[in-house]
Amino acid sequence: MASSRIQATVRQLSKTYKKKTRFEIGIASELPTAYKKFWREWKVLKPAAVHFIPQEGKWKRDEITGETLPVQNIPIPLKYPAEIHEGIWGGEAVIKGFQKRDRNSRRVPHYWVPVLKRTVVKSEVLNTHLSVTVTGRTIKLINDHYGFDHYLLKTPACDLVSMLALKLKKQILTELMNGCPRHANNPEKQKSVYEEYKTYLSSYTPEEIEWYGLTWYEALNKVAKLKEAANKPVPLKHMYRKKLIEKLQEKESQSDSSTSDIALVADWNILTYK
Amino acid sequence: MFGIRTALSKTIANGPNLLHQQTRNTFILKRRWPPPLHKQGGKPGKMKARHFVYDLIEDTSVSKKQDVQVILNQFVEGVGNAGDLLTLRPTIAYRDFLMPGLAVYASPENISKFKVEENKPKVESEFSSPYAQRTMGCLSRLVLQITMSKTNPWTLEPWHVKTSFRKAGFVVPEHAITMPPVKISGPNLELQEKEFYVTVKINNKEQVNVRCRIHHWATGLERLAWQKEHWKKPMEALIPEQAAVLESMPLQQ
Repeated sequence: MASSRIQATVRQLSKTYKKKTRFEIGIASELPTAYKKFWREWKVLKPAAVHFIPQEGKWKRDEITGETLPVQNIPIPLKYPAEIHEGIWGGEAVIKGFQKRDRNSRRVPHYWVPVLKRTVVKSEVLNTHLSVTVTGRTIKLINDHYGFDHYLLKTPACDLVSMLALKLKKQILTELMNGCPRHANNPEKQKSVYEEYKTYLSSYTPEEIEWYGLTWYEALNKVAKLKEAANKPVPLKHMYRKKLIEKLQEKESQSDSSTSDIALVADWNILTYK
Repeated sequence: MFGIRTALSKTIANGPNLLHQQTRNTFILKRRWPPPLHKQGGKPGKMKARHFVYDLIEDTSVSKKQDVQVILNQFVEGVGNAGDLLTLRPTIAYRDFLMPGLAVYASPENISKFKVEENKPKVESEFSSPYAQRTMGCLSRLVLQITMSKTNPWTLEPWHVKTSFRKAGFVVPEHAITMPPVKISGPNLELQEKEFYVTVKINNKEQVNVRCRIHHWATGLERLAWQKEHWKKPMEALIPEQAAVLESMPLQQ
């Protein structure tokens, strides 16, 4: 009887129990919504289908049986090696899987690795050329977006993937927010560049730009540092020294009040007579 | 999830265009044995090894890429003037025009921007055609050998020069050739060691001086001895007035 009641309670509790998300544990609970927005864009949002062709529509009919079946696109799992953060791969990544090369042969493991090349990209906002590792898709995307800056600014973080691209995006946004100071020697160009790219600023607030492109640990560090700076302890010796000085001043003013007043009046008389 | 995605892309993409077409990139794969359907709103079931067997549908790194359109923002020798729309292979467009800053992408804004600039009173362009400069360069480097008879008497006429030009690979009409001010006639073996220049007018605009040398041709025993790299040898000017100009024209070393 008792055991069944315990079991019932456990069942009840397990229904109401909700696992804590990463934003509810420790110092992470103090992360601002600006960072949560970036996190959502980076990690929660599903990246675009790069290595497979997603099926269209919600439902499809089986050709033989005429049965209606839902369309479920399960993406091909991708591997993100450390090198992905040193280049801009345009959504491509390494695929680990098997090849079945022949009907009668056993499947063999295979890695599909994108072809990487080093090339130059030009950022108009930053007013510089950069040498980066890219794939053919990146160059194609840059061409389709009519420029590197447009590509970075228009693509969500989940498709950019690499930290290099995210940091560059953050830098470009910061630069735009400050009105393109890198073009300061050419005010005409500065104005035209700002006019071209200012539409992208409307999607972000200054706080969001500040928290954009930070890794989890960078964000936590930032929170900790902000917290530390806000609650900086004042040494007690400063407080005591201040109090002592005040006390001494008070005492002095009380004892010398009569003499100092006379002196002041005397001074005033001299000034007026002059 | 896709709902969020489209909403976000709408907020992000306030810019000029959206990619309507999916870009096909390197390896596009397909599962040979797709995983079974899962509950709606639920998680996909545990995958087995056979769900990781992929077939290659397309490898776009070997397929032909579409051309890229760019607009020149300055005069480029041998290519075109500012505001010209070019359709190029993507690699050439990217490497040779977009990265050095000779051209911009033919985006709708840029097209309208350069159209506006075209309507303005046009500044007289420096050259008659994009290739004029290149032709001038070729002609100024040329040492034109005018082959004349060693045995029969002749007087040098424009059609001789025209023919020599054609033999050297240049189609020059007679009216474009300005002959030297003196009458040159032969056969005269003293002319063999002399040089002069003719002036060629390109597109009735650009003028270029071409260095000419007369070679006396004959067959059999009359034939002049072979000379090694005679075009590199500096020679005396036939007409003293032309000496200074010929001096200034570079000779192949």
